[in-house]
Amino acid sequence: MLNRDTFSGYHPLVNFLYFAMVLVFGMCFMHPVCLLISLGSATAYNVYLKGRKGLRFSLRFLLPMMLLAAVLNPAFNHEGATILAYLPSGNPLTMESMIYGVASAFMLASVIQWFSCYNEVMTSDKFVYLFGRVIPALSLVLSMTLRFVPRFQAQMKTVRQAQQCIGRDLSDGSIPQRLKHGITILSIMVTWSLENAIETADSMKSRGYGLPGRSAFSIYRFDSRDRSAMLWLGFCLWFIVFGWICGGFDFRYYPTLKGVDISPLPLSFFLVYLALCLTPLILNGKEDMKWKRLRSAA
Amino acid sequence: MRKALFLSISLLLLAALLAGCSSPSPAPTAAPTAAPTAAPAPATEAPAPSAQPTEAGEGADPEETEHPAPMEDGTEVLDEEYHCTISISCAMILNNMDKCNKDKRELVPEDGWFLEPTEVVFYGGESVFNVLQRTCRQKKIHMEFSNPPIYNSAYIEGIGNIYERDVGELSGWMYSVNGWFPNYGCGRYALKDGDVIEWVYTCDLGADVGDDYMSQIDE
Repeated sequence: MLNRDTFSGYHPLVNFLYFAMVLVFGMCFMHPVCLLISLGSATAYNVYLKGRKGLRFSLRFLLPMMLLAAVLNPAFNHEGATILAYLPSGNPLTMESMIYGVASAFMLASVIQWFSCYNEVMTSDKFVYLFGRVIPALSLVLSMTLRFVPRFQAQMKTVRQAQQCIGRDLSDGSIPQRLKHGITILSIMVTWSLENAIETADSMKSRGYGLPGRSAFSIYRFDSRDRSAMLWLGFCLWFIVFGWICGGFDFRYYPTLKGVDISPLPLSFFLVYLALCLTPLILNGKEDMKWKRLRSAA
Repeated sequence: MRKALFLSISLLLLAALLAGCSSPSPAPTAAPTAAPTAAPAPATEAPAPSAQPTEAGEGADPEETEHPAPMEDGTEVLDEEYHCTISISCAMILNNMDKCNKDKRELVPEDGWFLEPTEVVFYGGESVFNVLQRTCRQKKIHMEFSNPPIYNSAYIEGIGNIYERDVGELSGWMYSVNGWFPNYGCGRYALKDGDVIEWVYTCDLGADVGDDYMSQIDE
């Protein structure tokens, strides 16, 4: 199962456009319905991509963070027409600030979930394939920095193990000695990362990175399937931006909660937004069904 | 190489521009925010704030009785009951509806009164802020304040969900006692029996509600 996720098999342009859209919309739309759509589909896709690991991440990391964000807002923000109680500081605790806190927690969580999916789907070779020629320096720097943390961690593990072999790990000796060992390891790591960056840059240069006519590591073809996907994304973009300009996604939290009345037009905006967010899952579902049918037919 | 140099220089310029934009802005924005509760400009400069009110009083109306000096920290609250009159009005917004934040328009009462002049009880040693806070709680009027350390007093950010700068850059809440706009915070104004407190929303740094402090500075 090399490529379990069908959506990852699409052209990088489709993937990138999709994530750019859901991320921007996810950050900008604070309408409760949009937040539910965004967080729900992002979580579903993340769980589809990563399985139980994705679910664990949501429960262990995102849930506490959401709770914190929801509690912090009413502690610092006292705007709102519905006063529930008074805080010890003397300022009012309002219903609107609590609801806004929950809403911003949803927004934050959904954006993190989308980025988590993005990292899984948009691998660095796809990113460089897309932007290697347009903005060579920036795309190299971006893909290098994005890769830096996991690489740094892996190298750190190696260095620590090597130091452990000669009895100079963080866990050896008295506290001043441990401190000294830690600083040594840090110094090794900093030197390594600087050297490594230069080496990478030199290697890229010697291979002619950024020169015209140079092909990328992975070759992708923009076929008819990608074309229809692009058409669909383009339609969603047009329709949702249209709805955005019309105010179909507006929702007011302060001083009183107020949204657009439910009528067919705003409802259609939400439906298209839902369809957009669920696009990868729908594609995957279709593909899975096709696979099952083929197998049962055989 | 030249490109990188150009980029870094333009970034520096941008940073300088941003810094330049942000440093003078506190003067105009801080003035309206400071106005309601503290003296606009001299709040940080005046070495002896107690000298300010008498000066301002002489300049405004020499025949009137001298204005009280701001009270110091640790003034005890006594049990004796007194009475004062308090009112909260944002009538000035009615003249400046076009500048008003769209979401806030519906909050402005038709006649401008959040609280018509009402007689309330206060206790000896209490400040204007204490009375405002208690009254707002009793009448279920929303009120948010903060305690900026430089003013040594509470600062009223918003009453009835109408906040500072909701009606243009020069707007905010101010208070006057017996017709005089003190140049210090409401948490430091010691009330006397029979005082008349008026909380008003200004849209022009106090000039529209009868405070001549800014015009005096200009002269």
